[in-house]
Order: sequence, then structure tokens, then C-alpha cells
Amino acid sequence: MAQLSLRGIKKSFKTVDVLHGIDLEIGDREFVVFVGPSGCGKSTLLRLIAGLDQISEGEFVLNGQRMNQVPPSRRGIAMVFQSYALYPHMDVYENMAFGARLMGLDKAEVEARIAQTARMLRLEPFLKRKPRELSGGQRQRVAIGRALVRKPDVFLLDEPLSNLDAALRSDVRLEIAKLHRDIGGTMIYVTHDQVEALTLADKIVVMNLGRIEQVGSPRELYEAPANTFVATFIGSPRMTLIDVARQGDRLAIAGGGSVLVTALPDVARLRIGVRPDAVVLEHGHAEDGFTASVVYTEYLGDNAFVYVRLADNTLMPARVGVNERFAPDAPVTVKLERAAMHFFSAEDGRRLDP
Amino acid sequence: MALTGRGLWITALIAPPLAFVALFIVYPIVAAFAYAFYDWQGLLRGEFVWFENFHTVLFVEPYASRTLNAFSHNIFVFFALMVLQNGLGFLLAYALWRELPGARFHRVAVFLPVVLSTIIVAYLWKLFLHPLFGVINQSLRGVGLADVAQPWLGQESTALWALVIAQAWHMVGFPTLVFLAGMQRIPTDIVDAVRMETQSEWVKITKIVWPLVAPSATVVFVLLFVGAFNWFELPYIMAGLDGSPYGSTDVLGLYFYRTAFGNVSAAHQDFGLGSALAVLMFLFIAAIAGFVTAKLRAREIQL
Repeated sequence: MAQLSLRGIKKSFKTVDVLHGIDLEIGDREFVVFVGPSGCGKSTLLRLIAGLDQISEGEFVLNGQRMNQVPPSRRGIAMVFQSYALYPHMDVYENMAFGARLMGLDKAEVEARIAQTARMLRLEPFLKRKPRELSGGQRQRVAIGRALVRKPDVFLLDEPLSNLDAALRSDVRLEIAKLHRDIGGTMIYVTHDQVEALTLADKIVVMNLGRIEQVGSPRELYEAPANTFVATFIGSPRMTLIDVARQGDRLAIAGGGSVLVTALPDVARLRIGVRPDAVVLEHGHAEDGFTASVVYTEYLGDNAFVYVRLADNTLMPARVGVNERFAPDAPVTVKLERAAMHFFSAEDGRRLDP
Repeated sequence: MALTGRGLWITALIAPPLAFVALFIVYPIVAAFAYAFYDWQGLLRGEFVWFENFHTVLFVEPYASRTLNAFSHNIFVFFALMVLQNGLGFLLAYALWRELPGARFHRVAVFLPVVLSTIIVAYLWKLFLHPLFGVINQSLRGVGLADVAQPWLGQESTALWALVIAQAWHMVGFPTLVFLAGMQRIPTDIVDAVRMETQSEWVKITKIVWPLVAPSATVVFVLLFVGAFNWFELPYIMAGLDGSPYGSTDVLGLYFYRTAFGNVSAAHQDFGLGSALAVLMFLFIAAIAGFVTAKLRAREIQL
């Protein structure tokens, strides 16, 4: 059982404010991912939950108990570090046994837990090895195993995949997802990679500049981003933002054509967001649609992205079939599907719904 | 290889120090080895006597008991300093590393005595320990512990301890600095990982910090060993060449010096016996230090 409540959490290091008031509820068995660009405060927030840093202001409540002054080892929380932080002078078995023994478990129980964990993480052949004799992926599993044997209420994972190579990364990602299903604890996972966030999370917390921008399921964030930051952060290639003026039922770029759109928000100027899938490119300049010219094509095997430049100089990716050819500098017309368009305020970037 | 530009430079830079080392370090050591096998009449070299000088200092009275007395004091000094200097140094380093209040000031304060000359430290502590006017006895009397005040350097039971404490005060900054450097090399993630598992400082020190700084301990241990068995300046200044009172602070360094060069009270001097002592000290220190270094090196942990 784990129910976490963060209430008005603030953190400052000397004069620098890093977190400006975080409110967040995390439920039992949830897989929550904190995602955001570097320096957004996501790792700091994780360290506050772990108890490694002091909360400057606000309250952290775990299972109804205020945790602000509880030392890290008494919180029922285990953490997997980005560098794995294995004890270099202990073998794999000792690394896992260390914390379990300190919890006061008897010898048989420690052994049983390690045996079970080693089996689950396929670490049995390595139990007598020192960390430096292991590969990156194996060290990663030991770090996870060390957290598992303590059977904590909450697992914290700080960018656990960032030290692995690309091929291994997707394997380990799958394993972590499976692990969460099997052991069912609450997991909080920090990453700057939105793909990890989308694939793993039940709930994503998008952070920027020490604030939460949006909390929601991967689908909610992708389909209904609350503001332009979330819109451009989630999804790859990024969503394109275009500043347009409203002319009746049409949205126009100055000197660059216009598109007919029904059911618009009631403002004169707005910013629209379009993902590459929602863009239709037609050869030549047409009456209806934004005029643009082709910059280059990115071929990815199963599909391709054509980057086009709109009249206001915005660079915009569009997904096309692999058989379509767009020569550099060729004139094209950009058509948009209404259903796939997002509307944002031109002033503060907040989402506008008609 | 022709002696061209670069080679010439290297030769020119290496030759003088090499000559210096050969003349003032290698030659005296080799010479001492040779001296130890001769009979000496003052500065006059006599016959080649094989191992007689060694035999005399080790087994013939009164030399044998003096040698044993001095040697046992060296052993005592080594273990006492191991606790007082290295042990305390480790704890100080831990306190500095954890950034306890005042860490910034104490980092400098702890190391400052190391920079002082031994002469200054020795005279300073002689003043501190003065039975009547010394700051230690004055303070004891000041807080009503007049019974505890005593002539620290003047009685057999306390004299060697007093020297050891002065030495530890002088040099404690060195192991502190070495241990602190070792601790600062421990990755912060590992420190955080331990904090996630325990809040006991004792467990952190014994199970994580100590094993990880143990490699830096090798050099500290070996240097302490060499220092303890070559100990000379501080006892010479504070206790005099005879290891007063009554030989209770006599150590091999003093004993060797007295035997080889004589002293004010006993003008007798014997280079042969002195050299034999010097050679024995050298062999003993080199053998143990070499063995310990090799042994501890093998156990070092790569971070």
C-alpha cells in the first residue's frame, strides 16, 4: 500500500528556488513518470521524496504520515540511481544483502529474498562477482535487485536507462514495465526522454522550470496537452506551433494562405499545434491551405518525414508515405485535419477549447 | 643515441640531482653498511671484524638491553600513534567530510601544525608541559584538578606518552588530509545509496566509508611506520639525547646517535656499533614497509 501526497512542496538551494510549489497525488501501484527538460526540478523532487534533501516548504505525506523529518532509510522507499551506485567493494550478493540485513531481517529471510530476486532478474550466475566485473545492463539489474529485496512501498528510479546503450535501453524498458506488473509497487520514474514516459507511465507528470505543467495519462497528454510546452515536449517529431490570425472561419498566416476550420475558439489571434501525422501535403500551391516549400526529407524506412517551411518561416515536419517524393525547394500546400488540431492562446500558450 | 638538443637537456636536468642523491644519500647508506663491519677507534678505522658489531648491539650487555629498551619504545610509539594520529585523523576527516559546523575553519586548523617545524612544536610542547608554568598544569589547577597536575616529562610513567601526544598533535593533519581526499573520492550516489538503507553513522563508517578509503590508508600506515621507527627530532628536543628520564623515552634514533657520535655525559663514541644499529634499523624498516605495502596494495579497491 502506498499513497503519496505532495502538498505545496518548495525547494530552494541557498538563494536559488528550484521547485515553486508542487501539488501531486500518487496512488497505490501507480507507475508515475516525472518528465521534463534538464534543470526542470524532476530529480530534485525525487530526492525530496527519497528524503535525501530537505523539503524547504510544504508537506510530503506517505500513507497518512508526514514524512518531512523522517530519515530516508525509515520511509519504506528504495531508490535506483542513475549511476547504479553499487558498493564497489561488495559482490552482487552482498550489495543486495546489505540493506536487507540492516532492516533487521533474519539470515534465512535475506537469503530467500535474494534467491527470489536473483531468479527474477536473471542474476544467479553473477552473485559472487564484484560490480566492476559486470556489464552496464547487469549492474542496472543489480541496482534494481538491491531495491527489490527491501520490498519497499515505493520505488524511485532516477533516469535508470541513461547509462545504457540504445539497444539495451528498450530491452530494459520492457523489463521495468514487466517488473512493475509483477511486483505491483508504486514506482516513480524520472526521465528526460518522453518516449520512456509514454511507454511506461500510468501517469505522466510533465515538469518545467520547477513547476508541474500537466499531469495525466500518456494518452491525455498526447491528445489534449494543456499548453504549448507539453504539446511540444510530448511526441516525436515535435508538434509544430503556428501563429495564425482568425478571419471568419478561416485561419490565416500573413501572406501564406489560410485554411478553413469549423468550430473555432472565440479569439482573434491564436496559436495552432499540429502533429506530423495530421498534416497533408499536396504538390504545388493551391487556394485552400498554407503555402510552403520543401526543405528536406527524412527517410525512416516504414515512413518518411518531409520538413517544409511555411511563409512565416516556421519549419514543420509532415509524415508522408515512403513512395511520395518531394524535391527540395518544391512548392507545396499544407492542409490540416480539424480533428488533429490543437488550439492554444497566443498570449500565454494555454490550451483553448472551442 | 647522439646527444642532441632534447637528450642534452634531459641529461643536463637529471645529472645534478642524480649526483646529489648519489653523494648524499646512496653513498652514506652504502658507507654505513661498510662501517658496520669494521672496528673503530674514534675516527680511525681498524680491522675488518665481520659481524661482531651486530653481535654486540644485539646480544652483549649493556648494549643488548638498551637496544631492546629503545626498540620496545619504538613499537609502543608506533601503536600509540596509530590510534592517536591515524585513528583521530580518520575521525577528523569524517567530521570534515560530513561538513559539521565549523568544517571550513577546522580544515585549516587541523593541518596548520603539520606546516610548523618540529623544533617549534617540540619547544612549544615543552612549554605546555612545564610542571610549574606550563599551560596544561596551570589549566588543571585552574579547574580544581591540582591533583592531576604532574611533571609530565619528568617521570617515567608519563614521559613517553607526553612525547607521543605532542607528535600526534603535530602530525594529525597529515592522515586527516589523506583520508579526507579519499572520502571526497567516494561518488555522492554511493553515499546517497547508503543513506537510503541506514541512518547509522557507525554502519556507514565501518561498512562503506572505511573500506572505500582503505587504499589511501596504505600510504598513511607505511609512512607512520617508517616515521615511528626513525623517530628522532621530537624526543631529542623534548627529552634529550639520553631519553630522559632514565631511558624511559629512549628510542632507536636517539640510541643510534648516542652510540655513534657520543654525547655530553658519555663521551664514548663508536662508529662501528652505531653503523650496525643503523643498518639493522634500515633493514627492519625496509623489510616490513615493503612487505606491508605489497600486501595492502593487493587489497585496494577500484571505485
